[in-house]
Amino acid sequence: MSTSTDTTLVATVVRFCRALREHGVLVTPAETIAATRALLEIDLGDREDVYLALRSVIATRPEDFAIFDALFARFWAVPSVRDARGPHPRVLPEPAVPPPARAGAPMLERWVDPDDTARDDSREGLRRPSDHDMLGTRDFRTFNESELRELTRVARRLARRLRMRPSRRWTAAARGPRVHLRRTLRGALGTGGVPIQLVYRARKPRRTRLVLLCDVSGSMDLYSRFLLQFLYALQHSFARVETFVFATRLSRITEPLGAPGYRSALERIARAVRDWSGGTRIGACLEAFERDWSRLVDRRTIVVILSDGWDTGRPEQLGEALRRLHRRAGRVIWLNPLLGSPGYQPLTQGMQAALPHVDVFHAAHNLASLEALVRHLSL
Amino acid sequence: MREEIRRIQQQMEAGHYITDRGIATAVYLAVTLRRPLLVEGHPGVGKTEIAKVLAQVSNADLIRLQCYEGLDATTALYEWNYPRQLLHIRLDEGSARSMEEREAAIFSEPFLLKRPLLQAITHEGNAPVLLIDEVDRSDEEFEAFLLEVLSDFQVTIPEIGTVRATQTPAVVLTSNRSRELSEALRRRCLYLWIDYPSFDKELRIIHAKLPGINERLAAEVATFMQSLRRMTLAKTPGIAETLDWAAALVVLHASALDATLVQETLGCFLKEEGDLRTIGAALDAGQLSVMLSSVA
Repeated sequence: MSTSTDTTLVATVVRFCRALREHGVLVTPAETIAATRALLEIDLGDREDVYLALRSVIATRPEDFAIFDALFARFWAVPSVRDARGPHPRVLPEPAVPPPARAGAPMLERWVDPDDTARDDSREGLRRPSDHDMLGTRDFRTFNESELRELTRVARRLARRLRMRPSRRWTAAARGPRVHLRRTLRGALGTGGVPIQLVYRARKPRRTRLVLLCDVSGSMDLYSRFLLQFLYALQHSFARVETFVFATRLSRITEPLGAPGYRSALERIARAVRDWSGGTRIGACLEAFERDWSRLVDRRTIVVILSDGWDTGRPEQLGEALRRLHRRAGRVIWLNPLLGSPGYQPLTQGMQAALPHVDVFHAAHNLASLEALVRHLSL
Repeated sequence: MREEIRRIQQQMEAGHYITDRGIATAVYLAVTLRRPLLVEGHPGVGKTEIAKVLAQVSNADLIRLQCYEGLDATTALYEWNYPRQLLHIRLDEGSARSMEEREAAIFSEPFLLKRPLLQAITHEGNAPVLLIDEVDRSDEEFEAFLLEVLSDFQVTIPEIGTVRATQTPAVVLTSNRSRELSEALRRRCLYLWIDYPSFDKELRIIHAKLPGINERLAAEVATFMQSLRRMTLAKTPGIAETLDWAAALVVLHASALDATLVQETLGCFLKEEGDLRTIGAALDAGQLSVMLSSVA
């Protein structure tokens, strides 16, 4: 790399990587080097080649593609940008085109716009820099976008907890770290005392599954935005999560929520959920869950219901549905954001009917309360 | 486009894998830069297929490591062949050899059971293609271990010593994104995202995989799948499902789609009860013509 062209190339790649870094894409120096090496292997005169080569080295997740595309267009500008790109299927929609408004989920539509938080900045003046402790105890109602990152971190921690804990019991296994002596010796009796076949033992895996049922009715509007972000983070850090939302009817959103990128996940959910911010019929929704999805729930399942408990249905219906759910599940956790408000008493009829069938009744109004959830997550 | 990339694309298409430039470029770079290729995408879009075709076109052996929850280093790397060691000790019982000699004998290479990762490292001849399938299903500890192996392609076996790869294998990792992979692993790999195919690509894939298929039927199947993917389903069908369905229709000697035929073969591409009900109801309501006309 001694000619001046090469030097220019290196300088451009370095500047390009720095620009990406400034836009929040994690690009390490090692990747800058790899990107330069990749460019030396391809036809530099071909813009499409340069684009594909750089993208495969630098953008390591589909969420980064949009930023990458925008910056690439700026750095490697040619007159006919569109033509040069060719008929490549884009994973992410062009940010410039706003998604068409859809009925049923106006809240969701607004959340897609990350600058939207500026909307209610009457509190902005009161807000202090987000030091950790403040953040931990601050109510979700006053959260802004940058603090959502913390929420993701908490979700990762919870998922880690669910994943990392093998059971303390040992069980015979085809392969494992230790020899199962009793079984091996018994097997050896048949072969004259020679242990031909070794039997191993391993920690019994604990296959905990998480079923999340989140209330997105009108009364939850202030919270559901952040809870949904939390659900998104959980869905992406743990494989055995099933997520549902409900207001007047139940919708499974496991698939749309699993879409790469929070933005595209929200768009898909907007298409799938019709009754966003509607009324609440918790009992009926839980009944629907029991009817259609009961196969998801067994003794190793933790069912988490996120709701304020304002129900317009019959309380007996809610109590009965929850009783049946509780009988099948390993644990039922009810997270109520209102529980964080001083002076709140779970006196609504729905809540009263539900409480006898709930193992853990917990607040969910700030990060600290979600983090405290960790100790309830092992079965 | 660089000649080599074009050639890779042609070779892959000759192996009945329909690619686009993005895939061909990523594969070319992975091979020339000797970096692992991380392939992500929805289920059934042909991620695993890339490794198979790569092995086929580069005339290399394919070594596959299927990941699952609880997969540990021993299962992926090596184990001692215990029954054989035992047999050896019994046969050797009368001999005058010293304890050390016997021990050295039973902990030598013939007694080693090589698992995929060690196989890939000690492979003789052409550099093999190592496919690490569904890496998102393995645990984080295993991912960290994998990172170590993939960075220097050497393994230390206490009884034998350090084994180094003679040539670096071409590594392809696939993931369904059931969980986020660690940043470190992503950094070390070239990244390729495969989306659902466009109408044209899907049609070409159908023709490549089912050479005898009726033109009209193939086009209708591709159109139907395209509109199906725009709907909200619990499990969106991938190309694998398209091909299963098309193959089934060929066996049934169909030459065009009609509502009854689709109803009867729904199970080929819809694997969730709820989806079956949704699409079944749409077909009953006479929606087939709509789904077949809405080609993008």
